[in-house]
Amino acid sequence: MSQPFDKLLDARGLNCPMPLVNARKEIGKLELGQVLKVVATDRGSVADFQGWAKVAKNVELVGQETESTDGANVYVHYVKRTA
Amino acid sequence: MAEQLNDGVWTAGDLLERLERRDKFFVLDVRNRDEFERFRLEGRSPVPAVNIPYFEMLELGGKDEMLDSVVAYVERDLADQLPSDLPILAVCAKGDTSEFVAQGLRRLGYASANLKGGMKAWGEHYATRALVEGPDLAIYQVSRPARGCLSYMVASAGKAIVIDALRHLYPYLDLARATGLTIEAVIDTHGHADHISGGLALAAKTGASYYLHPYDAIHPIDVLPATIPYEFIRDSQLFPVGQHQLEALHIPGHTLGLVAFRLDDRYLFTGDSIFIRSIARPDLGGKAETWAPLHGRSLRRLLGLPGGITVLPGHFSSLDEADETGRFAASLDDLKKRNDGLVVLQRESEEGFVRYLLESLPKFIPEYVNIKRVNTGLLVPTGEDAATLELGKNVCALSQAQAASAGGKQ
Repeated sequence: MSQPFDKLLDARGLNCPMPLVNARKEIGKLELGQVLKVVATDRGSVADFQGWAKVAKNVELVGQETESTDGANVYVHYVKRTA
Repeated sequence: MAEQLNDGVWTAGDLLERLERRDKFFVLDVRNRDEFERFRLEGRSPVPAVNIPYFEMLELGGKDEMLDSVVAYVERDLADQLPSDLPILAVCAKGDTSEFVAQGLRRLGYASANLKGGMKAWGEHYATRALVEGPDLAIYQVSRPARGCLSYMVASAGKAIVIDALRHLYPYLDLARATGLTIEAVIDTHGHADHISGGLALAAKTGASYYLHPYDAIHPIDVLPATIPYEFIRDSQLFPVGQHQLEALHIPGHTLGLVAFRLDDRYLFTGDSIFIRSIARPDLGGKAETWAPLHGRSLRRLLGLPGGITVLPGHFSSLDEADETGRFAASLDDLKKRNDGLVVLQRESEEGFVRYLLESLPKFIPEYVNIKRVNTGLLVPTGEDAATLELGKNVCALSQAQAASAGGKQ
């Protein structure tokens, strides 16, 4: 199930911590209420985005999904700027 | 400040060496809290550690770049928890994020190293040690230290049998190549619950036969037959290896098809029955009450073997169970005096021992049901799923704390 988003960040092929470091930079460039879609291939990003959203005061994790293409998983995170 | 370490990088092998030597160091682990709780670095003695997930450092450090955030966070919020007189090992899941942490710590003047490859590399590290090595007989103990798993290669006259091959095959293939040995048989002492067996894959790779007791070719909880090809092991069966032979001893209890192997009166490969400090649990098939009396009778059978025989177990719970050379081996007579479970076994009636077993059961590990499915061919995991299933140390032994105090009536 896909969600609406305002900006796409392609973090495929990047190792931890770069998907999250880059997402954090991009979130800072969004308007309040806008959603960033992050696509990553690092499986650990699923738990890490959840943990980050809990500690960060300006973001909310509004959705996560796993897509499988050609046997390779892509992990998708939707992060909203809230403050 | 402590002295600078090997260019700031420790391999999993370096780490093992330091843990075995009881080197003092401190761990800053930046994985998620649940990952940290489930699978920690453990040595011969406790390793002091603090766990701060990296995304907390990043967010609370408040800088755009990871390295700058590490420096800001550590300086402001963590300095009072870090020792200034010990090396600090930075640890994460795969070793990339912890490299930023180690660099940040060094920038602040700490002696810090990164664990190369992270906990994944540590979890998949193997160590091979010869217990005896001659042309007539060689026995190698191949361990996976982070998981507490032990396996063996028994060799004589150029031929070898592998017992309880672990998931990665390279330690056995490398050893066979280096010593010029031909692997003729691969044996699992039982259907493993805590780790994915490499037995069938190693047999396929080397053209050897794969052996398992047929009772363990039925998944105990699904009650479904294995779909993998295997040769039957029966009680008293002899497995020739060069000038020697291994004799199978069927000792049901931990599983219904558990088999120990005896090499003359010299070596006893106990699988999951007698470990160094403890004994195996009888409940992983979901039938603790039914299996516990069998387990007791099987252990008594092993106690009747010559006391000088060297016990070579399938697991350890702590690196501290190794002797000073890092090998996990002890005589049966020695273990009768210091193995918690064997001490109780010698003291108790059958009923008292069953009571002790049932009082000492650690928590059931849900993943173990799926691992048994993998080992019987009922479930095929991807590589990453396999690693996740196996994460953490084995829990095949009875609970140690209880073992020390419990044991029913005197």
